[in-house]
Amino acid sequence: MAQALNAPNAPTLPPPPMSVGALGWTRENLFGSWLNGALTVVSLAAIAVGLWFSLAWTFFSADWEVIVKLGGRFVIGQYNAETSCPGQNCFWRPQVGLLMATALLGAFWAITASVSVKRAAFAVALVSAAFAFLPYGLDEMGWDVRLLLLANIPALGAGWAIGRYTPLNTPGRAVAASVGAFLLTLVLLRGGFLGLEPVVVEKWGGLMLNILLALTGIVFSFPLGVALALGRRSNLPVLKLLCVFFIEVMRGMPLITLLFMSQVLVPLAFPENFPLNSVTRASIVIILFSAAYMAENVRGGLQSLHPGQAQASRALGLAAWQTTLFISLPQAIRNVIPALANQFIALFKDTSLVYIIAMLDIVQIGRAFIQGNTEYLLHARELFIFISIVFFVFTYAMSYFSKRLEAHLGVGRR
Amino acid sequence: MAQAPRVLSYQGIPVWRHIVIIQWTLQIASAVLVVALVAWFFSNIAGAIQDRNIPYGFDFLSREYQTPIGEHFIPYEPSDTFGYALFVATTNTAIVAVVGVALATALGVAVGVARLSSNWLVARIAGAYVEFFRNVPLLIQLLFWFYIVLSLPPTRNTHALFGRVYINNAGVSIPWPLPTSNAAYLWMVVAVIAVAVGVAAHRALTRREIETGRASYPLISGAAAAVLIGGAAWVLLMIVNGQAPLAVSDPAPQGAFGRIAGGFTVRAGLFVLLIGLVIYTAAFIAEIVRAGIQSVRKGQLEAARALGLSPIGVLRLVTFPQALRVIIPPLISQYLNLTKNSSLGGAIGYSELTSVTITMTQTAPAISLFLLIMAAYLAMSLAWSLVGNVYNWRIGFKGA
Repeated sequence: MAQALNAPNAPTLPPPPMSVGALGWTRENLFGSWLNGALTVVSLAAIAVGLWFSLAWTFFSADWEVIVKLGGRFVIGQYNAETSCPGQNCFWRPQVGLLMATALLGAFWAITASVSVKRAAFAVALVSAAFAFLPYGLDEMGWDVRLLLLANIPALGAGWAIGRYTPLNTPGRAVAASVGAFLLTLVLLRGGFLGLEPVVVEKWGGLMLNILLALTGIVFSFPLGVALALGRRSNLPVLKLLCVFFIEVMRGMPLITLLFMSQVLVPLAFPENFPLNSVTRASIVIILFSAAYMAENVRGGLQSLHPGQAQASRALGLAAWQTTLFISLPQAIRNVIPALANQFIALFKDTSLVYIIAMLDIVQIGRAFIQGNTEYLLHARELFIFISIVFFVFTYAMSYFSKRLEAHLGVGRR
Repeated sequence: MAQAPRVLSYQGIPVWRHIVIIQWTLQIASAVLVVALVAWFFSNIAGAIQDRNIPYGFDFLSREYQTPIGEHFIPYEPSDTFGYALFVATTNTAIVAVVGVALATALGVAVGVARLSSNWLVARIAGAYVEFFRNVPLLIQLLFWFYIVLSLPPTRNTHALFGRVYINNAGVSIPWPLPTSNAAYLWMVVAVIAVAVGVAAHRALTRREIETGRASYPLISGAAAAVLIGGAAWVLLMIVNGQAPLAVSDPAPQGAFGRIAGGFTVRAGLFVLLIGLVIYTAAFIAEIVRAGIQSVRKGQLEAARALGLSPIGVLRLVTFPQALRVIIPPLISQYLNLTKNSSLGGAIGYSELTSVTITMTQTAPAISLFLLIMAAYLAMSLAWSLVGNVYNWRIGFKGA
């Protein structure tokens, strides 16, 4: 018998059917032991019951009309309302901003040749274009709005061509162009020139407001946070003390309290008629608050570096500021990408707190609608599930990109 | 021999190139800048106080607040002072913080462990939970639960579960032990002592087990000691008084509007806030617990298994004690976040510190209120940091 098995031309027997393939996987991962099997059965039952009820609710008892009713207001809030933008259709202005964003994504795709940027560009362009085919909201969404939504697809192509064939073909220039496009969008939204009806910032709303606040917050709080982290790490006692005080006070308070105080207290600290509207004040508070958290993350990254890095850099003749800028910071920031991404996500989520200063962001637009139309009171859950999904798509995309970036920069593989 | 240039120099180096002088100049400049900015703000505030008759000072604290507070756990009347009303609001926040932290920790640890389960399905469910609830703003979650509770039937046709738990749009009422006489407080004191004795016994027996290697059953013996002492006191008090010190009070609808009397009622605002905060924070805690457990080196687990510990024993005696060192610092920062996030309670009708303060700004100086609320939140932050540091010190993790 033993001889037969050792024979050179003995047939290769297939592995036991219970240990490979789908069956083996099931056995190992779902029914490895009695306890495991029981857990699987209980989980399956829970999933089945949960699915049954949620599907039944989604298709039979839920009334999604509230989503349809709000339609474009989710995206721009009261921006296009008669009270904000009288006598004109202002829907096209945020849409031009969207077109520029799509084109820039296209340009970045051409410049970086990165698969994840390509996916993001296509997702934005295709989803925007898909909205043009929504069957409802005809009164609110005229043919011009739909055409501009469809224009996102050519915009993507145009952006790609620009990134490929024009001088706008380095990441630095594309970033500069993005900043320009962002400022242009703000100016366009504000209006008040070339016959464009001015729209006060307080009337901006919807998802647009959340995105604008988040973008401003990220762009400004990141450098400020890095500066604060360096200040806290520095050996200059006065500077260090100031940074520690600022960071700890900001982190010790709830953002909502700070936002509220930015409305009642900050105006007192400036001369009367100082040009600082409530949205700008809120935006500054969000930036300062987020910068304090950012600073702690960057500080963690700086602490994770081996001191030999800075010493070697100094020994090679780099000045202190060069060491910080070209040796320490790039490595420190790379090490804390997940924490920074979480902070950006938290900042985006925190933009929903502007309700305290009476701004109508995507959440408050929905809430105001429910409070104004009490017949929809019982369908508030549909509304908030929808808004949750909108937020989830954005935040999940952010964490996906941070993971891709981390992999791209080779964190953890040195 | 070239003459050294005649310049202002210190230690032979021109002052504008001397590192110490440059650093101090910069520091003094930045300090002056900050001081000037703050002084400018203060002068503006002082000007506003004078020109626009804006109230300031802390005299208002002893004035009557004259406004009801929706929910309070210590006695409060609208005729009480601003100062006391602020204290009541602070206790409201503190109660949410403590209860929320306890529940969120329990749920978070369970989900974190489940995420590492060898059962594929359980791990995926826990993962989905974490991804979803972590990525959706707390405010939306709170509003979602708020409108769910709002759509529950009113008290007069309340839902009853098992005939003893009532759920309606005013809150949740559960059976709760209530003292029947003052003897109850005596029994509570004895019960605390009993638990202390049990813990001490557990410790002593564990030490004996470790030192001598003989099985001493610390967990069972400690629990038995506590139950025996508490039970003996209970029976004694029953014999002496003729009634049990605590009796379970069932909630029951009363009157035409079916107001729920008896038992313990968690009112809607607190209920919604706790559900929202616990579910949200638990998702973050689960990630922290997962990272902590994964930080324990594989060799530790293999050694523990080789020594014959059961899977639960490995988790309890080897994994967790080591993981805790990684878990505690970020966990404390989550506790802090939960405390601060309770300030969203105002959006769903729970009278916590921020929402009460916001209401107060209509009748009291905002500047003073801001300073007070800042002090209150900083004190709560410090309290959590203290808890964390004491724990860190207890588990012997010096440094960090």
